[in-house]
Amino acid sequence: MELFAYPFMQRALLAGILVGGSTSLLGVLVVLRRSAFFGDAIAHASLAGVAVGVLTGWPPLLPAAGVGVGLAMSLHAAERRTQLSLDTVLGFILPFFMALGVILLSFKPGYQPELVSFLFGSILTVSRSNLVVIASITLLVLGFFWRYHHHVVFAAFDEEAALLSGIRVNLMLTGYHILLALVVIASIRTVGVILVNALLIIPAATAKLWAHSLAHMLVLAPLLGMACVAGGIVSSYYLDLPSGPAIVVLAGVVFLAAVSLQRPGRQRSARGR
Amino acid sequence: MDALTVDHLTVHFDGAAQPALDDVSFRLEPGQIAMVIGPNGCGKTTLLRSILGFIPATGTVQVFGQPVKDVYRMIGYVPQHLSFDVTLPLTGREVLRMPVQCLPRHAQRAPLDWAISTFQLKEFLDQPVGTLSGGQLKRLLLARAMMHESRLLLLDEPEAGVDAGGTQTLYQLLEELVAKHQLTALIISHELNIVLQVASQVLCLNRRLLGIGPSTQMLTPESIFGLYGPSAALFRHDHEGHT
Repeated sequence: MELFAYPFMQRALLAGILVGGSTSLLGVLVVLRRSAFFGDAIAHASLAGVAVGVLTGWPPLLPAAGVGVGLAMSLHAAERRTQLSLDTVLGFILPFFMALGVILLSFKPGYQPELVSFLFGSILTVSRSNLVVIASITLLVLGFFWRYHHHVVFAAFDEEAALLSGIRVNLMLTGYHILLALVVIASIRTVGVILVNALLIIPAATAKLWAHSLAHMLVLAPLLGMACVAGGIVSSYYLDLPSGPAIVVLAGVVFLAAVSLQRPGRQRSARGR
Repeated sequence: MDALTVDHLTVHFDGAAQPALDDVSFRLEPGQIAMVIGPNGCGKTTLLRSILGFIPATGTVQVFGQPVKDVYRMIGYVPQHLSFDVTLPLTGREVLRMPVQCLPRHAQRAPLDWAISTFQLKEFLDQPVGTLSGGQLKRLLLARAMMHESRLLLLDEPEAGVDAGGTQTLYQLLEELVAKHQLTALIISHELNIVLQVASQVLCLNRRLLGIGPSTQMLTPESIFGLYGPSAALFRHDHEGHT
C-alpha cells in the first residue's frame, strides 16, 4: 500500500495506534468510575497550557501536560475538600481554564496554527520527537497496568471496598488520573481537543456492549481503539478527509453497529437497583 | 479487649440545623451481634459510615484497640446501596476475586474456596452481576466483605431487596459465622422480628443513642412506640395480638 511508503504516514499510524490503545485502555477505568467528563475537562483545560506555550515559545504540549497533570493530581483532593461531586469540580475546571487560555491567546495577535491543531488535531504532522513522547507515555500506561491493574481496577470499580481491602486507593487513583491526563494531552495531537473524549469513551463503551467479563472488556477496548484510529487514518488518506473526525466517525459507527447487533436478552437487568 | 469502641461520635453536616449524630458512645465485645434500629433519617447509615471514617466526624473510634484506618482489613462492610454499576460486564467471580487478586498468587486460592463454599456461590458465580437476584448479590457482597479475615462486620440493611426466605437464610449464616469465628457484627435493620431473633445487643438510635441492651429489654412496645412514633402503634397492637 502506497501510504505506508511515506514516513509521515508511518509515524501517524504508529502514533495513532499507540494513542488509540492507551486511551481506550484507560477509558475502561473511566467507564468503571462513571467519570466520562474527566477527559473532556482535562483536554479543554489544557488550552491554558497551550496558550502559555504559544506566548513563551515553549513546545505547547509541554505546559499543556503540566496543566493536565497538575489538575489530575489535585482533583481527588479537591473532591474531598469541597465535598462536591467529581462532575461538579470538573464543571468548574473546564470553562475556567479554557477561558484563561483564550484570554492568554488574545495577547498574541494574528493566525495561530497551534490553536487550530489543538482544536482539531494534526496527526499527519507528528514528528519523530512527538512519537518518542507518545511511545513513552504508552509505556508508562502499560507498565502501570502491568504492575497494578488489579489494584487500580478495584479502586476504580468500588473505592470503599478497595480501601477496606487494604488498597492504597488515593495513590492508585492519583496515578490513574496522572496517566489519564498525559494520555489525553498526547491524544490532542491525534484528534484534537474537541474529539479527544471520543477516543476515551467510545471504544470502552463499545467493548462494554460486547464483552462478557471485565477481563474481556480490558482486552477488547484497546483493540477497538487501535483499530478505529488505524482505520480512520487510512480512510482519511484515501477519501481525503480530515483524520481526527474520520477516526471518531469510524469509532461511532462501530459503536452504533454494536448497539444494533445487541440481542435484547444480552441487555443486563438493573432489577430496580 | 473490645471489638469496637465508639466514644462521643458526632457528625454535623454543613447547613444542617442539628447534628446527624450526636455524642454517640458504645462498646461491642467479640462474638456480639448488635443491631441498630431507628426511624428513617435517624443517623443509622451515618453511624456506620462515620465509624469507617468515610464521613468527617468528631470523637474516637477504635477497632480492637486500634484506630479504624489502621485496621481496615479487619472490617467487612456491605453498604445498603450498591456502589458500582451492575450493567457492567462483570461476572460474580470477578467481583468476588477483586480483594484477593491483590494478594500473592499462592494466598488467593484458600479465601476464594472458603467464600464460594460458605456462601454457596458456585451456582451463579459465572453469571453477570446484573442478572443476579437481590439475595444472590447480597451473599456475593457479604462473601467479598468477609474474605480478608474480617473480624468486625458492618452491614447496612443486609435484608433490603431479599425475600423472607432469603433473609432467614442470610441471618442464619451470619449467626453461624459470628459464633464459629468469634466475629462481631453491627447491623442496621428495619425488620424488628429479625432483630428480636438475632441481636444480642440492640442500639436504639435517633440522632442520639437512646439506649443499648439485650433485645428483650430494648424491644418493648413502649420503647418501639417512643422510637418510631404513632406508626408503631400498629406494631404494638399486632405484637400484643399474637402473644
